Amino acid sequence: MKTQVEDINRNIYDIKNKDDYEIKIQGLNREIVEEISRLKNEPDWMLEIRLKALKMYEELALPTWGPDLSELNMDDIATYVKPKSKLNSSWEDVPEDIKNTFDKLGIPEAEKKSLAGVGAQYDSEVVYHSMKEDLIKQGVIYTDMESAVRDYPEIVKKHFMKCVPISDHKFVALHAAVWSGGSFVYVPKGVKLDFPLQSYFRLNSPESGQFEHTLIIVDEGASLHFIEGCSAPKYNKVNLHAGCVELYVKDNAYLRYSTIENWSKNMMNLNTKKAIVGKNAQMDWVTGSFGSKVSMLYPMSILNGQGAKTEYTGITFAGGGQNLDTGFKVIHNAPNTSSVINSKSISKDGGACTYRSLVRINENAKNSRCSVSCESLMLDDKSRSDTIPVNDIKTDEVEFSHEAKIGKISDKTIFYLMSRGLSEEDAKAMIVRGFAYPISKELPVEYAVEMNNLINLELEGAIG
Amino acid sequence: MEKLKLNNTPVRTARNFAINNIELPVEIPNKIKNFESVEITNSKSNIDNEVSNKELTYGIGKILEELVFKNANNKIRIQTTKQKEDIKIIYNFDENNLNLINQIEILAENDANIIIIYKSKTSKQCFHTGIIRTIAKENVQLNVTIVNLLNEETNNFEAIENTLYQNSNVKYTIIDIGGKTSVSNYYSNIIGNNANNVLKTIYLGKDKQIKDLNYIAELRGEKSNIDIDVQGDLNDEAKKNFKGTIDFKRGCKKSKGNENESCMLLSNRAKSIALPMLLCTEEDVEGNHSTSSGKVDEKQLFYIMARGISYKEAVKLIVKSKFNKIIETVQDSELKEEILKEIDERLN
Repeated sequence: MKTQVEDINRNIYDIKNKDDYEIKIQGLNREIVEEISRLKNEPDWMLEIRLKALKMYEELALPTWGPDLSELNMDDIATYVKPKSKLNSSWEDVPEDIKNTFDKLGIPEAEKKSLAGVGAQYDSEVVYHSMKEDLIKQGVIYTDMESAVRDYPEIVKKHFMKCVPISDHKFVALHAAVWSGGSFVYVPKGVKLDFPLQSYFRLNSPESGQFEHTLIIVDEGASLHFIEGCSAPKYNKVNLHAGCVELYVKDNAYLRYSTIENWSKNMMNLNTKKAIVGKNAQMDWVTGSFGSKVSMLYPMSILNGQGAKTEYTGITFAGGGQNLDTGFKVIHNAPNTSSVINSKSISKDGGACTYRSLVRINENAKNSRCSVSCESLMLDDKSRSDTIPVNDIKTDEVEFSHEAKIGKISDKTIFYLMSRGLSEEDAKAMIVRGFAYPISKELPVEYAVEMNNLINLELEGAIG
Repeated sequence: MEKLKLNNTPVRTARNFAINNIELPVEIPNKIKNFESVEITNSKSNIDNEVSNKELTYGIGKILEELVFKNANNKIRIQTTKQKEDIKIIYNFDENNLNLINQIEILAENDANIIIIYKSKTSKQCFHTGIIRTIAKENVQLNVTIVNLLNEETNNFEAIENTLYQNSNVKYTIIDIGGKTSVSNYYSNIIGNNANNVLKTIYLGKDKQIKDLNYIAELRGEKSNIDIDVQGDLNDEAKKNFKGTIDFKRGCKKSKGNENESCMLLSNRAKSIALPMLLCTEEDVEGNHSTSSGKVDEKQLFYIMARGISYKEAVKLIVKSKFNKIIETVQDSELKEEILKEIDERLN
């Protein structure tokens, strides 16, 4: 019995606007890094970080594991693109073609539904930002990274590339050398936001790289839900996304970070995301990886405070020509910490999904708990699905369990549903939806049309 | 002393996960004389030393593999006859036989039970590296038991390569409780349709013992099966790496693979790393793996201690009961007793 699930309808994501930019810098060397810093009018300390990172980038080797990255040629990648637009505080001021694209992706609609703040990054610069006034009154800061470097230098200096050190891996070093755009969020002590903040990234320029930096600090006892979405139109040349997300969840704070990635299928998505979680704080990740040609994406929680918790809920869907290597990393560094990992993957039409993870429970993490569950669904015999989890346990006072399953849609289940009057196609579609449901119910679909499109179009896609 | 990178996983992952291979200082003995202290018990098989030097698909590492091919001081090839038979090979390390570099090749054309035991009759440091190849022809039932009872000064490196043809049924039981460092590589090439491979392992680590287990099963035949069950216990500062890979190759339709590894930690200084991999390029299969780590179940401990048994004895009972389901499959009752006695002593 064969199962077919149609590809995502990418029409709205593959909109290409005229590659119209004010500045576009190609390649990577010291002069280019200095030029980017000069164009942004940055303080010296930031240029120093950039130059140190460039040196690190040159020293570090490409990873010897995971998907093939040989197609990536840094000389061809635009490390900085500035569209013909300045940062706008009003939607009306955003240039028409950029606005049309975001309109089609549903950003203003999402905002109309009283989204608190929307930061849209188009190529390398943040073009639009807005925030509800009551947030400002509560002392919440939500701005683009360039403004944060200028307006809140002490906070940025203290946290920038500290959670993710520039020596982490080659693409982190690259990111730190040429980063541009991104979001900065600070939620003061005790402030609990009951609506999410949203940021959107989109690449338009062919062969360009997107190196946005997201820095979020949720101070003690505060609470935040942050949503990011990513997409790019399809060009023939390989694009690169090497963003970096640094999250600080202070004592007793809560942060949920939701991501929908639907990069076009010529994108190398080599993103790095890390969170440091304080005492009795909680960090939840919800991730949907649908797009890109190659993804290497492993969000990480470092549970440094006693009683810290983290939960990872992720789904990966790889179609033809895609190699999506995704997963999660957690380090238990304090007593009574806990983590729950729940991952699902679907591969079809020759697509390859890999779940790769690390659970490390250190000596001092007494009475910690970790539970891992990963399931993979293969929809045909051309595809590939691998599970590569590392479980590193350094203490006896621990409860650790890991389970993984791999397989196809059960013939018995199809038979059961068909005996209740469903057609074979509907039965299979229902099973695929049911498989993804525990993850899709966590995704904030009500906040953006794009996310609705992704989940529903894909899983309700014609099957037969 | 040479530092070697050994026991590479079939698929690499990030280097800082510290699991792609194990780096160890290995002292390879200079002078290799024949290993005389070996007992072979069998009734009918043809035995010679015409073993194959064909390169291993995985193995522990090229340097040790070459060492075996060039300098083996004991070679045994067994071709089973038409009647079912029991074969026992015992290597006794003693003052005159401190270094063993061996090759064992078993061509099973009919049912057989094979037991291979490594024992120390000396407290001196010994060295063992070896290759065991087993080939199970069509419809054969082959049971292989390997028991490592080497002393705590000895380094033990063993590569096993196992090929299964149609309808064959191969059961491997590995009792890995001895040695200072014990590195084992098990590769099963399940070619035949309906072939079934069961691998059960016990490991026990104490003091500063290191255990590195790298098990790889490739399923190629339709309706083939692999079942891996690894039960272990780590005490003191012992360290264990378990790398288990089930690889469903395209075409192995309706095949199943199950892998379970459970590690009981009896010390807060013991370290356990597990990498249970499932690789899959065939849609119509079922693969499952599970791993768990933790200390002795407190409820069980309380229940036993409430009956007047000391903490130490209660822990021993729990560990032995966990191991017992695997030890029970050893068909030699004398050996079974010897293993239990050894576990008992090592848990003291």
